[in-house]
Amino acid sequence: MGADPDEELVRRIGAGDPAAVQAMVARKLPRILALAARMLGDAAEAEDVAQETFVRIWRHASGWRRGHARFDTWIHRVALNLCYDRLRRRREWTTDELPEVADEAPLPDAIPGDEERRVNQALQRIAPRQREAIVLVYYQELSNIEAAGAMQVSVDALESLLARGRRALQAMLAGDGDD
Amino acid sequence: MDAGRFAALADAYGGALHRWPPAEQAAAVLFAETEQGRAILQRAGRLDAMLDRHRVEVPSAALHRAVVARAATEVRQERRRRFWWLGFGLAGVGLAGAVAGLALVTVVNPDIQSDHYVMDANATSFGDAGPEQTEEDL
Repeated sequence: MGADPDEELVRRIGAGDPAAVQAMVARKLPRILALAARMLGDAAEAEDVAQETFVRIWRHASGWRRGHARFDTWIHRVALNLCYDRLRRRREWTTDELPEVADEAPLPDAIPGDEERRVNQALQRIAPRQREAIVLVYYQELSNIEAAGAMQVSVDALESLLARGRRALQAMLAGDGDD
Repeated sequence: MDAGRFAALADAYGGALHRWPPAEQAAAVLFAETEQGRAILQRAGRLDAMLDRHRVEVPSAALHRAVVARAATEVRQERRRRFWWLGFGLAGVGLAGAVAGLALVTVVNPDIQSDHYVMDANATSFGDAGPEQTEEDL
């Protein structure tokens, strides 16, 4: 495992350095907000998750010790946990389990300028674990090992989630998931 | 790398090789130059193009300010909490040391039992030397 590019910044935050706080927010807030927005499909809830994630960063900064995961992977895990809390609350799940099966019915054809909303709808309709895998690897550009670590699954399991998620998206967005 | 593995990776990671597992990228680059490789990447790239349409807003200045403002309070409170816990920890270590020391002294140097036999004021070193002789014995 290589050096953690965030480790020094976290140490300075723990020591009470205001410049380090500014640098951390500039570096991580866009990533965490994007992660939450794509997981939740709701900009206001994504902002709440981003704020809560940073509260945890500030609280843990003075005691941060690198374990098995890099700091970036750890904050992704924190943000994802907060997203799942909201998904469970929002959808009033009768059990603690989120659905594993995606609703792959094709979406209506896009009208010009509406493609982004359509992709958002498709992302929200696939199973949350598949969405999580795609968001981490495709949009957040975590490596396969980092994404698998953040999701606490094996790399093989991650690849399976990615492939199933992309097939479901393909079926919904282009109606040709079987090719 | 064979076509099966190449297609499986494209199914999972999409058509951009920089997202593929680093350990397999070199072999993937070679296979990508084949006709079969190009077709697989092109198909994966169509979904990528759709996914790329999904953009998220950059954080607002208000959100940025709110996140930064919370930092000062949280970091200070956490440092104070850690300071108190450190204090409690040191006090605990001190107390444990005192208890352990007392236990050690008790084991190594137990109380000496009083010698009840020599504390009798009437006793002498000859007190139990034997029966007294009488004049009749002589």
